[in-house]
Amino acid sequence: MGSRLFSMGVKMLDFFGDFPDMSRRDLRDFKLAIDGAFRDFSRTNGEAIEAFFDPLLWFLIKLEKLLLAMPWPVILVIVAGLCFLGSRSWKLSIGAVLSFMLIGYFGMWEDTMSTIALISVATLLCVAIGMPLGIWMAKSDRVQSIITPVLDVMQTIPIFVYLLPVLMLLGIGKVPGLIAVCVYAMPPMVRLTNLGIRLVDKDVLEAANAFGADSKQKLFGVQIPLALPNIFAGINQTIMMALAMVVIASMIGVRGLGIPVLQAIQNQYLALGLMNGLAIVGLAIIFDRVSQRYGKRLQQHRGGHDHD
Amino acid sequence: MKKLLISAAILAGTAFGLSGQANAACGDFQMSDMNWPSATLMANVDKIILEEGYGCNIELIPGATTATFATMNEKGQPHVAAELWTNAVSVELEKAMAEGRLHSAIRGPITELGEGWWVTPGTLSRNPEFKTVMDILERPDLFPDKEDPSKGAFIGCPAGWGCQLANQSLFRAFEMEKKGWVLVDPGSQAGLDASMAKAAQRDENWIGYYWAPTAPVGKYEMKLMDFGVPFAGAENWDSCIALGPEKCGNPKPSAWTESVVQTVVTSEIKAMPDVMEYFGKRIYPGPVMNGMLVYMEDNQATGPDAALEFLEKHQDIWTKWVSADVAAKVKKSL
Repeated sequence: MGSRLFSMGVKMLDFFGDFPDMSRRDLRDFKLAIDGAFRDFSRTNGEAIEAFFDPLLWFLIKLEKLLLAMPWPVILVIVAGLCFLGSRSWKLSIGAVLSFMLIGYFGMWEDTMSTIALISVATLLCVAIGMPLGIWMAKSDRVQSIITPVLDVMQTIPIFVYLLPVLMLLGIGKVPGLIAVCVYAMPPMVRLTNLGIRLVDKDVLEAANAFGADSKQKLFGVQIPLALPNIFAGINQTIMMALAMVVIASMIGVRGLGIPVLQAIQNQYLALGLMNGLAIVGLAIIFDRVSQRYGKRLQQHRGGHDHD
Repeated sequence: MKKLLISAAILAGTAFGLSGQANAACGDFQMSDMNWPSATLMANVDKIILEEGYGCNIELIPGATTATFATMNEKGQPHVAAELWTNAVSVELEKAMAEGRLHSAIRGPITELGEGWWVTPGTLSRNPEFKTVMDILERPDLFPDKEDPSKGAFIGCPAGWGCQLANQSLFRAFEMEKKGWVLVDPGSQAGLDASMAKAAQRDENWIGYYWAPTAPVGKYEMKLMDFGVPFAGAENWDSCIALGPEKCGNPKPSAWTESVVQTVVTSEIKAMPDVMEYFGKRIYPGPVMNGMLVYMEDNQATGPDAALEFLEKHQDIWTKWVSADVAAKVKKSL
């Protein structure tokens, strides 16, 4: 009696030891089936998908070539001009020009131009796709419940898990890099736009209704302007996350500041990593401050509680 | 009844506790678990044999060639690197060996190794006149770079790998830029593999760096190209080509150097005669290693799983590395 209980006890402990999982053979067949299906998909549709992205690739290449070919004084003038147009702040424009000069002096000019070409297109794409998506989510609870899990996946799935299929379809280069950056950097834009529009005071919306505004007038006249602080927070996060992805993009063959950082990581070149890392940080701060100032200027008419 | 259950639980508990105790006759040390399949297979096989057969207690530390060698050289940890491709660090390694900090336990733990420039099988079947790398270098138009179709793309090593410097030097030595080529940095092993896999699966032309024994080379039936120029000497390689164009301005054209792979150990391990004897005998035949790599690929096996498969399927090979009673102990634990 005692020994039977004892052996039962040991068996129970065994069962609760390792989780009862699928047999190895079944798991292997399952994994191989998925791989095989993807390989067939890639064989049949790969060329068409590559051709679909060709115009984007052409644009990215031309933009990078343009930035690399322009003489550096012209670039500095353009940087100063864009900063001033966006922020109307002398301090910021001069600071941006000084940062670029430092970057050039330390030998990181070409890499920075390549990174700017890719990241600016990525950020613009993220904002251009993310904001309408956020607005759509704000309008409908059902859409929100469908898109939110997609955003969760985009933000947390390990990058190479979805990059491997993309690489098999498109090869290494700028387009997979752009896709990687956008997948990671778009969710904050979408979420914060959604949040901003949903947070607009219901009373204000009622007042707009009372004045006879239709949906389009409400959206562009009331909701978006009032949601601007959140929308610009989204843009800020998108810029930060896009630049954070620069190193990962370099892991799949994108030229830019990420390559020296990878070299520094593998070979323990401390100074190289620090310098290029700080260049990435500098770019992020410039992009961000200019866009934030632009956002503040857009909201100037609200005055009152919006302080600098 | 309750007393019986309680004593059963205590017995079970102590049984679990005791089984965790390793026999400390051999010692605790760390082995490098490098991030490519053959290396992780070797590390895990070593761990099982040394723990079950010799009573060591081993911790596996992830790593890669340059980083692991640096920590072994500076800090003496990890204590063993089973598959160290020493070409990339040969000068530093010789210095460390001369100073007695590091030792080679065996040279050539895998037979039929090689680094070099490989092409997809379709490249050769479409262009039978390509007999050597020199022939290929004349035709960059057949390997258009996706981002600049006017140039030929040669896929080099990712940033930070030792071979990146060698490839950059050879790129300069063979004057490939003048011939219309561009050296593509794939960024990571994943990028290099994906580039090769995509070209092989879509049957496109591809030329780039790779090495054997590896699963992709076997899986995609890649062909190693003869360089067409002889190896221009160890002096040229070690003090010029391997250091890269930053440190050496005038590399001479050369075939790839013979790939030296060693199991490198620290002085603590050298003082363990049983372990050193095991390492000295531990040689994997090339075809067997390739077969294991294809197994790992097909079954997506991790290092520990593949090690178990190797120990079960290739008993005729590993039992020759150890004495009969060690072999019996290991077999019992499988």
